[in-house]
Parts: sequence; structure tokens; C-alpha cells
Amino acid sequence: MSEPLLVLDNVTKNYGAIEALKGISFSIGKGEVVALLGDNGAGKSTLVKIIAGGLEPTSGRMLFEGKDFLARSPAEAKAAGIETVYQDLSLCTNVDVVANFFMGREITRKVLGIPVLDERAMEAVVGKALASAGTRIPSLRTNVEHLSGGQRQAIELNRFVHWGGKLVLLDEPFAALGVEQTRRGLDMIRQVASQGIGVVIITHIMQQAFQVADRIVVIRQGVVAGDVARNKTSPDAVINMITGETLAGAGPAG
Amino acid sequence: MNLRTRHALEFVLDNLVWFMLLLVLVVFSLFIPNYFQLGIFANIIEASSVLGVMSIGLALVIIAGHMDLSVESVAALSAMAVGILFCSSGIGLGVQLHPEWLMVPVSLLLALAVGGLIGAFNGYLVVKVKMSAFIITLASYIWVRGLVLVISGGRSAQDLAPAIRWFGIQRLIGLPLTAWIAVACFVVFSLIMAKTPFGRHLVMIGGNETATFRAGIRVNRNLIIAFVLAGAIAGLAGWLLAIRTSGATANLGVGLLFNAFAAVVIGGVSLKGGVGTLPGVYAGVLLLSAINTAINLMGLPANFTQVIHGLLVLAAVLLDAFKQTIRQRLA
Repeated sequence: MSEPLLVLDNVTKNYGAIEALKGISFSIGKGEVVALLGDNGAGKSTLVKIIAGGLEPTSGRMLFEGKDFLARSPAEAKAAGIETVYQDLSLCTNVDVVANFFMGREITRKVLGIPVLDERAMEAVVGKALASAGTRIPSLRTNVEHLSGGQRQAIELNRFVHWGGKLVLLDEPFAALGVEQTRRGLDMIRQVASQGIGVVIITHIMQQAFQVADRIVVIRQGVVAGDVARNKTSPDAVINMITGETLAGAGPAG
Repeated sequence: MNLRTRHALEFVLDNLVWFMLLLVLVVFSLFIPNYFQLGIFANIIEASSVLGVMSIGLALVIIAGHMDLSVESVAALSAMAVGILFCSSGIGLGVQLHPEWLMVPVSLLLALAVGGLIGAFNGYLVVKVKMSAFIITLASYIWVRGLVLVISGGRSAQDLAPAIRWFGIQRLIGLPLTAWIAVACFVVFSLIMAKTPFGRHLVMIGGNETATFRAGIRVNRNLIIAFVLAGAIAGLAGWLLAIRTSGATANLGVGLLFNAFAAVVIGGVSLKGGVGTLPGVYAGVLLLSAINTAINLMGLPANFTQVIHGLLVLAAVLLDAFKQTIRQRLA
């Protein structure tokens, strides 16, 4: 594995008496795609939120590019170079495609010292980004509420590809996509990784994990139940890790 | 549908309230004797200046997904503070400053500061303590009005210093300067909302607060600024109100809140947040004022005003739902 980008060392998260994460340790290298698998409630989304600055861990530490790292807000994580695509879409449906694409990072020009939105420049960038990804949206000035689920997810995916950063977290990014768009989405992930960006993708679909990931990390009941290179494992072995080695006596599913 | 008709249709939908205003003015001019005169139109703009300024602050907070019920009481408190200091009879202290014009910036800053402070208090409780804006600002609506009663003892201040009143008397192109101040406020805040990142962020926060937080926008900071602005703008409305009545009474401005709500809703702002523009709100304010003037001219009892305003709000909400269905077809 190449030089580690993000290292998690015994990260835990308690909600009152409930231990959602009991101590997670693994690492992600530059340009590596890690698929994070696990049953519902295993703690995948909690883990992503901790890395992305949406939640603070109860204990444990993280190293990002070799330095101690803890994001107290999504803004801090973004500043460090961590982009996140969440399961429930993070779009403002009351504004247009361009405004969503640039949310919080608008291009401005100064008029009398006051920052003014440069709509034309932003529209040009969005048009180029969407065209190069093959996404077709009738008008970039349409409010997102009038777009389909697939078009919305495409905007989010294009947004992360465009902004890149150093590490990308994807929480079930293809839930609303059709077959062709999913294939294109997986291509986008490989393309992003080839630029040296680390990618963590959470998915429920084994086939996607094996299509795109270099390494597969399985979380079960708040601990890492398996951490294997893709070419050294099989879907059946991974399913066993997710559910617990033996189906009988596996207990409640995390 | 070709692109031209589509654009035309969207333009009409975006500015529907302006077309309504135009229609109402044409109908009134045709059917009400003496309605069609410049003086009447100037009067419509003049009469709507206080309500207009107050509606801007209310609209900002509602667009950001919250609520400010305290604007009316805040305006009254600012007006009372200005009245007590700079009025010469009643409970007025008749404070004199030299040179005289110095009273203008001092009274204005006082009004803005009173409003801004209460806005900051509201904003802090809503954003940091995470309480419902409806309840917090309802409480402010009550206690701030109470404070007006306490500091005035229920009495009034009259005879505002001439240097300040000058703004209500001096006319420019047929309108008093107070009306120009209201128009300028609409222009400035419309530009802020439409053209600056701050305005864009407020609209997006009103649409999906979680998404904006995840995108790294400083949601809390922006919301507190919105509340402070709403308070300060209400303070400005109070300053204009004190000029207009040349003083302040304990029940000054009672009922303005509901007119401001009506104007904001008629202007196309959704109470759910994230939808609406300030030019629309101004059209809503003018529409209310145009109807009031018509009622006056026709000699109807003033009590009809309230019935008509209520029906107008209902019509605005129904129209908004209708607009939504058309837009969905367009997309």
C-alpha cells in the first residue's frame, strides 16, 4: 500500500450507554479506493460523519497526512481537503444547479469592495464539469426541486469530482441511480482515485464494492471485522464477515 | 412549448405580484374617481414606507427559514427611545445637541442599536440555545411592548426635534425623504439578497439547513446576522415612525406586524423558508397600500381594510400553490 493518507486509531463513539463504535482502526492510502461494508446499524455512517466533521468521536485518534486530525465541523474537514457525499442528498432544492454546485464556495468579484456573485463564471464552470461527465440537465438555471432523483445525485457526484480535495467519502452514492449512471459513477470514482485522491465508499451492493475497490473493510457491531485486499477475497467470504462467521448464533445483526 | 414562451411564462411567474399590483392600479384608476393622479400614487408610496422597511427585516428572517414576531414591538421601542430623548413635550426630555444636525445620526444610531440588540438576543437564543424562533420572538413581541409601556408610563412624547422631522417634511421629486429611505432600503437589501454570497447563503439555509452546514457554510453566524439585521431594520422602521407621528405613543404601531406578514406572504415569500425575493415583498407592501388608498377614496368604513387584507393573504397563498403546479409542468 502507498503512503497512508488517513489513519484511524481505535476510534470509538458512544451515544449515552450505547457503543456505536467500539474501536475502529484502519487506514486509507493516497489514490486508494476502500469499500466500507457492513450490515445496517454496523456503524458505517457514524464513522463517515466522524471523519467528515459532523460528529466528534468519544475517544481514539486520527492522523491525516501524518498529522493529528480532528474536524470539529464540516467546514474544518473541507478546509483539510475532505469531501463528503451523503446518503440523504445534500442539495438545496430551492435554488438552481449552479448555486448548489458552488454551495459555500461561490466565485465572487469585488464591486466597490463588496463581494458580488459572479454568476457567469460559475455557470461556465458547472456547464463544463457536467458536460465532461456526460450528465445532461436541461437548464443549469432550473431549481433543483424540478429535477429527477438521478439528476440530483449526478449533481452531487459531479460536485465531488470537481472539487476533489485529498479524500472523498461517499455514503451510498448510487442509491437513486440507474444502471448506466451507476457505471459512470463507478468510472468517476476510479478516475478520481487515479489523481491520487483517497476514496472511501459505503455500499450495500457487493458487486459495486468488488468492481471499484482496492480494499474491502468490513465493520460489524462497531469493530473492524475484516480488512482485505479485493483480489485476495471473494464475495462469499465478505458476506461471512458481514454477518459473522457462522450464521447460527451470529446474534442480532449489529 | 418553445423557449421564448417558456421564458416569458417564467418571467410572469417570477414577478406575478408586480403584475397584480399593475392590474389593481389600472382597475382602481378606471373605476374610482380621482384615483388616477400623481398625488395619489405618491401617497401610496409614502404611506407604505414604515410597513415596507419593517417587512424587509421580517422577510430576511423568514427566507432564512425562521420567524421574527418581535419586529413591531422593536420598532415601537426604538421610536419611544428616540421620542423620549428628542421630543420637547409630553414625556420627552428635549435633549439638544449642537450643531442641530448631530441629532439625526445620534437618533438614528440609537434606533438601530436598540433594534440590533434585541435582534442579537433573539438570534442567540434561537441559534445557540436552539429554541423555536416562533416562541422566542413571540416572547420578545410581548416583553418589548411591555418595556415601551414601562419606560413611557403609558404616556406619549410629542414635538420631535425639527432637525429630525425635516426628513418627513423635505420632499424630493414629490416624495418625502422618509419614503426615499424606504425605497433605498429595498434596493440595497434586494441587491444583498440576490447578488452577494451572504444573501445566497441565507436562501440556501432556508432551503436545507443541513446541506448548507455540511457544505461548510457558517450557518449559525449567518442566522444571527439575519436576526440582528431584522432587529436593526425594525429599529429603522421605528425611527421613521417617530418622524411620521412627530413623537411616540405607548401603542405606536400596534397591528403593523400582521400587515407586515400579509405583505411578505403576498409578495411571494414562503413561510417554510428559502423562497421569495425582496422586490416581490415591496410589491406586496405597495399592493396593500394601494388597496387602503382605494378604500379611503371610496369612503368605505376603514374597518373593511382588515377583511380585504385577510382575503388578499388567502388569495396569495392559493396563487402560490397554483404557481408551483405550473412550474412543475415547465420543468
